[in-house]
Amino acid sequence: MTRFNLALRLLWRDSRSGELTILTLALIIAVTSSTAISLFADRLQRTMATQAAEFMAADLVISSPATIASEWLSKATQLNLAQAQAVEFSSVLIEHDELLLAGVKAVSSAYPLRGFLKTDAAPTETVHHSGPKPGTAWVDKRVLSALKLKLGDALHVGEKQLTIGNIITYEPDKRSDFYSFSPRVMINADDLQATEVVQPGSRVHYFFQFSGDTKALSEFNHWLKPQLNPSQRIMDIHDDRPELGSALERAERYLGLSSIIVILIAGVAIAMATRRYTERHFNSTAILRCLGCKQREILWLYGSQFVVLGLLASTIGLLLGWFAQEALFRLLRSLLPQQVAAPSMLAVFFGFIIGMATLSGFALPPLLRLKKVSPLKVLRRELEPLPSSAWLIYSLAVGIVGVLIWRYTGDLKMTATILGAGLASLLVLGLLVNVSLRLSRRLLPHLGLTWRFGLQGLLKNSRGSVSQILAFSITLVAMVLSFIVRTDLINDWHKQLPANAPNYFALNIFPDQQQNFQQDLQQQQIDGSRFYPVVRGRLVTINNTPVQQIVSKDSQGENATHRELSLTWSKELPVDNKITAGSWWPDAQAGQVSVEQKLAKSLKVKLGDSLTFTVGSQQFTATVASIRELRWDTMRPNFYMIFSPGTLDAFPSTFITSFYLPENRKDFLNALVKQYPSTTLLEVDLILRQLQTILSQLTEAINYLLYFALMAGFTVLFAAVHTTLDSRIHEGALMRTLGANRAFLRNTHIIEFTLLGLIAGLLAVVISEAVIYALYTYVMHMEYKANFYLWFYVPLTGALFVGLAGCWGVRNVVNKSPLEVLREL
Amino acid sequence: MQTQPLNNVDRACSRQTGGIPTVPGIVTTENLSKSVVTSDGILHILSSIDLIIKSGESIAIVGESGSGKSTLIGLLAGLDTPTSGNVSLNGKLLTAMDEDGRAAMRNELVGFVFQAFQLLPGLTALENVMLPLELSGDKNAKASAAALLDRVGLSHRLSHTPQKLSGGEQQRVALARAFVTKPAILFADEPTGNLDSKTGAHIIDLLFELNLENKTTLILVTHDQALAARCQRTIRLDSGRIVES
Ligand SMILES: Nc1ncnc2c1ncn2[C@@H]1O[C@H](COP(=O)(O)OP(=O)(O)O)[C@@H](O)[C@H]1O
Ligand SMILES: [Mg+2]
Repeated sequence: MTRFNLALRLLWRDSRSGELTILTLALIIAVTSSTAISLFADRLQRTMATQAAEFMAADLVISSPATIASEWLSKATQLNLAQAQAVEFSSVLIEHDELLLAGVKAVSSAYPLRGFLKTDAAPTETVHHSGPKPGTAWVDKRVLSALKLKLGDALHVGEKQLTIGNIITYEPDKRSDFYSFSPRVMINADDLQATEVVQPGSRVHYFFQFSGDTKALSEFNHWLKPQLNPSQRIMDIHDDRPELGSALERAERYLGLSSIIVILIAGVAIAMATRRYTERHFNSTAILRCLGCKQREILWLYGSQFVVLGLLASTIGLLLGWFAQEALFRLLRSLLPQQVAAPSMLAVFFGFIIGMATLSGFALPPLLRLKKVSPLKVLRRELEPLPSSAWLIYSLAVGIVGVLIWRYTGDLKMTATILGAGLASLLVLGLLVNVSLRLSRRLLPHLGLTWRFGLQGLLKNSRGSVSQILAFSITLVAMVLSFIVRTDLINDWHKQLPANAPNYFALNIFPDQQQNFQQDLQQQQIDGSRFYPVVRGRLVTINNTPVQQIVSKDSQGENATHRELSLTWSKELPVDNKITAGSWWPDAQAGQVSVEQKLAKSLKVKLGDSLTFTVGSQQFTATVASIRELRWDTMRPNFYMIFSPGTLDAFPSTFITSFYLPENRKDFLNALVKQYPSTTLLEVDLILRQLQTILSQLTEAINYLLYFALMAGFTVLFAAVHTTLDSRIHEGALMRTLGANRAFLRNTHIIEFTLLGLIAGLLAVVISEAVIYALYTYVMHMEYKANFYLWFYVPLTGALFVGLAGCWGVRNVVNKSPLEVLREL
Repeated sequence: MQTQPLNNVDRACSRQTGGIPTVPGIVTTENLSKSVVTSDGILHILSSIDLIIKSGESIAIVGESGSGKSTLIGLLAGLDTPTSGNVSLNGKLLTAMDEDGRAAMRNELVGFVFQAFQLLPGLTALENVMLPLELSGDKNAKASAAALLDRVGLSHRLSHTPQKLSGGEQQRVALARAFVTKPAILFADEPTGNLDSKTGAHIIDLLFELNLENKTTLILVTHDQALAARCQRTIRLDSGRIVES
């Protein structure tokens, strides 16, 4: 107990004398930012997930062509999951001698579990949390006009007569499956039986929807998966809507990355501050050792001080972090959905753990050096303890960073790759810096006095300089990463969804109308995508083996072979498509096909395979000439199968295109509809808007995170410079006793720090580019391109900032009386 | 005149040292050598030192600067390990112990006074003196330390940190710290080297008074002939060898 009291007293004295300020500050920054980011990321993720869930009207959906086993539902009940059902089928409606193929959806009373429905009771839209009551139907506006009906009229679905209660304008889980689009008629599930439309053998899609606790959901998912038959599928938030899924996933990874970055930055600061602390405690430790303190006791004495300090700083950081993320949410309020998920205690706890882990990972290695202080130092001041083994220092820090990366990527191999690559480049670069410092020693005799002293400052303790340069580099790398990844991520989203992304699809344009249609669009100066011919067909065999025998259940391939595909042909490779294997029509011969990559994988299709399709009652075969990668989220027509020109000539085709129509020119639609009555115009604005909202929310959030990371970076850089000042101040004082004037000292310091920052900046660029390449290629799945401007700005920033911070730090050397400085040490 | 504080110190002493054995040599060395490898080859700092220092004796180690005095007392106190040869303290072979064993020995047997005072800058005078007692888990640390500071005439400076004390005052705190554990052996490396002669003389008086009160074995490195003369025996070092004993 006396020892613990002693530890506390030493801690108290040290903190009074300002010895611990930097260390505490770094630790508070680490905990504040990791708490803020982990809390923020966690809340944002859950908020976004909730929003994504709205687009499915549930957290988890089983789609099935038939009803599912009742024990599945009782399992869900057992797990406390809320349940709803939607049954979708096509039905021809006949009223007033008009015919219309409608997409009927019968929903249970609990539908929608997530999100809401909107109906248009002019002049305003009404939000509903459940669908139509038994006996009523809600319909698309198009149903009314096509069948010459109005609200309150009777509508027959099969054998059942219903009253039209509302015009439906928004349905959360409306699927963006453009090719099976028909106007919606929504009825209550209780009326389904009475319609007598659903008979054995009729094509019906059942959607069993569930929502509830995440853990229960994933348990349910795992329990279900093995029991599904080939025609059934589970969709959950992440894999159902691919365009949302990928945006979310990248945002999540960015948040994770930011977190790692800030912790890394703070870790570097902690390591540097602890190093300084350690060095300033060599003498005290020697005295303690001399007085009979054992090595273990020394470690215990300082270790317990650090634990106390860690607990205090973590608590402060935790509070600050809490306020910071709360402030972030306030700032973003207008952008975020009404309902923001509550902060989770787990994330708070995580921030705390991170604080302590960072402290031990980065502070322990330098602290261990105190253990090695020889008691002989009391007699011989110049005796310095050996540095702790580099192996120990780096393995601890690397271990911490590794665990963090692993936690965010969830991929051991990738973590190892990133760590390995980072370490290797650090090692190589450290060596390079060392060598170049050695080489620059030769320059010394040719330099003026000021430059000579400035450069000498670096060379004198080249080992220390190397580690400082590396520390600054890591900090700069972290900041650069944060900046570049954010910028590219946002650009990527913008490119994916530019302001004039197509918001309408036109389907079923007959070949003889295509020319005119195109001209009409051009005349109105409407941006449109290419016109693609479409032939509807079904894949039946691969190398003469029926596809059903090839595809595994619940796979994309299974899904795609289940229905008719839109087949097209093209001479040129469509924009946003990329060949990943084979080549684009090596010869212009008919009978070749290019297959989308994911489908090809799922169907186990290779180059040279022959695929047989049926179109109507006819069959034809094509050879796989290439595999394509494409982006589904561009709002342009996309195709699984593109054939070489001439392959599909024997079959009747229609054309499809997409175009962007500004809000104020919607009247043009009426003209189009009149002119081309057989053409289906499909508005995708809604989906687009959902997507754009989410992306702009994420963009904002990510911007704030960047500011956070940059702020942390600069603070820490500043603090880090500060930790290197002791010896410089001492030398400066000595120099002044020898008659050096203040301008001379100031200039040598400027030179020294600027060089330090410049070299660190150059290093940082090299490492950043390497890490960005690895990140983009393996983690974010974005295209990497070199950032040439970095080569200019980062070294400049490094030089400027380290230079400034250094000059600010040593201002005392220049202004205080040397005697005062010498007495302080 | 100083019976009251001494009683206090006595109690601490009897607990810690248990009783000084009656063997003649409390500090003995056998063929003690120290050499270091430098860029210019091997440097022999000390060669074949044989010493027997009796309990209660006072020894002055003299010699030119660089003759190896500090190295010798560093080895005697177990602050460093010899290249060859042995050192025993109180009959126990220091050279056979590991660093922690030597640390325990120091805490139990040895007190130090240095040329550069070596007080902990963050701690007050009182806390500095309490330190060795606290390290050995003494519950009465505060009272004993205050008593000894009173003995060296600093009872009014208890809460001052070293920066606020003059050199002589700092060295008095260091003396108090050295004697507070009632060590069997006191090592002093040029204790007056950083002080003016008047203050130095005062410190030396105090040192010898305390030494007498505590019957401590005193091993003192000095340049000062007068100071050396106050010791019972003088050992002269030259280039790492004993030339006069
Ligand atoms: N670790 C070491 N490396 C090199 N030389 C040393 C080392 N330790 C002591 N010396 C040298 O040994 C000699 C004796 O040193 P020291 O014991 O401090 O002498 P004194 O205290 O008598 O002045 C000096 O010349 C000193 O430079
Ligand atoms: Mg000496």
